[in-house]
Amino acid sequence: MIRLLNVSMMPPGVGQPVLRNLTLTVPKGEFRWLLGPSGAGKSSLLRLLTLETRPSAGQMDLLGVSVSQASRSTLRNLRRRIGFVPQDYRLIGEWTVFDNVALPLRLRGASERDTRREAFAVLEWLDVVHLADKRPGTLSGGEQQRAAIARALIGRPELLLADEPTNALEDAQARRLLSTFQELVDMGTTVIVATHNEALVREAPARSIVLRDGTLADPAPQDEPALHRSGTL
Amino acid sequence: MSAPVSPGLRSGSLPLLVALMTLLAGLSLAGLTGVQILAEGWSSAARNATTIEIPSDTPQLEDRTHTLIQTLHRTAEVTNVRELSPQQVQTLLAPWLGQVSSSGHLPGLSLPVVLIVAHTGTPDLGAVVHEALPEAVVEEDRRWGERLNGLGSSLVACAWLAVSLIAAIAVLSVGMTVRRSVMAQRKAVEIVHFLGAGDLTISSRIAGRAALLSLAGGLTGLLFLSPVITMLARKLAPFSHETGPALPTNTWTDIFASWWATLHVLPRMLLEELGALPLIAACLGWMTAQTVVLVWLRRLP
Repeated sequence: MIRLLNVSMMPPGVGQPVLRNLTLTVPKGEFRWLLGPSGAGKSSLLRLLTLETRPSAGQMDLLGVSVSQASRSTLRNLRRRIGFVPQDYRLIGEWTVFDNVALPLRLRGASERDTRREAFAVLEWLDVVHLADKRPGTLSGGEQQRAAIARALIGRPELLLADEPTNALEDAQARRLLSTFQELVDMGTTVIVATHNEALVREAPARSIVLRDGTLADPAPQDEPALHRSGTL
Repeated sequence: MSAPVSPGLRSGSLPLLVALMTLLAGLSLAGLTGVQILAEGWSSAARNATTIEIPSDTPQLEDRTHTLIQTLHRTAEVTNVRELSPQQVQTLLAPWLGQVSSSGHLPGLSLPVVLIVAHTGTPDLGAVVHEALPEAVVEEDRRWGERLNGLGSSLVACAWLAVSLIAAIAVLSVGMTVRRSVMAQRKAVEIVHFLGAGDLTISSRIAGRAALLSLAGGLTGLLFLSPVITMLARKLAPFSHETGPALPTNTWTDIFASWWATLHVLPRMLLEELGALPLIAACLGWMTAQTVVLVWLRRLP
């Protein structure tokens, strides 16, 4: 589960906080859209949740760990339980797609046999298994995005975060990805997806975290039972 | 090849850099060994010898000199007493008193009798000589020995300082190279960090590569050094007691055996130190890279 209590975030060198007094809870095995206009703080919230930065103030608990007081080794272990699809893919250019995708399992110490089996399974599911030996630089945006999604999905993370994961995908692929998210949620994974794609949100209505100017636009509804829950999610 | 879990080290220049440092360190070590041997030789020679001068106007010079020599022979720790011939004394004094005349004598000067006493330990020869022949002057070479020892120690310290400086420069160069490499791969390092790679996982991969490149550099440096060391060994060969028979040089094995036999003239310690240089370079490379990367990673949350 995710619990933020009066969390603020002020990056160094920036005069004002990019997130202010954010309080929200996302229970285990739930899906949330992360919505808001550009500059609202969606990326900053994702940076907090992916542990790229720590809150400047407030209390943040992630998967049962208090992040504010956690040691480096605790944060390292916590990161291995989180899958993230960044908007810029963040694939390592010198490595093959297979090595990029296999990385989270290798870091967890999985055997090479299991790693290969799972990596090829997820690559095949995302229809990029033929790209396993290619370098990311030689791929199209959509292919890179699918490789990044494969890396986030491998090993079934307990928390899956995605920043605009469908912006380079075709409609059919986007729908397929949403159904995968649904499967993960059914297996107990907490999923948060940041998007500007209103059509996608309409297609799969679910509860949302809406940010505006670094704070919750409408803090009350997101803690209530599914107001809009009528679609696949 | 092992599965990648972290970016490696990018540096084409590191082996060359380490090779040059190894070359410099090898030359310094050779110099250091030479100075150590020289200092030890000076010190030992001076420490174990005493010069006794008996003025030429001493009454009954010949008999009393003979008596003194007998007394010295009986003294504990004295191993040898040698009386210099007048020609040897003249040769000894020529640099200060000018050329010896054609007759073989220095003009207007009667030469003293000079005894060189070799001994072990530190016998009190002053008391022995004073009792037997009070006119004699005892020149304790030990004082010169101490001065030479001091000079030798200073030279050895300078050589060690040079070796330490080279090591420091090597560490600094490897550190800067590793840092540049990490900065060039900053994005990849951050990706693996945020996917949960441990600091030691990241640093060990880079340090392992740095150690390997440093080892390669060290071996190359040793290769650069071998002609210089071989030349030094050939220069030293005539002074060595271990000049074995010349080996045939028909095959590469013979050539190598001959080269190896030449090197054996050099002190064993120097050969061991030179042999250890690539390993030392690899260790320094590994430790420096580990430190640099671990410190750099501290800035990440």
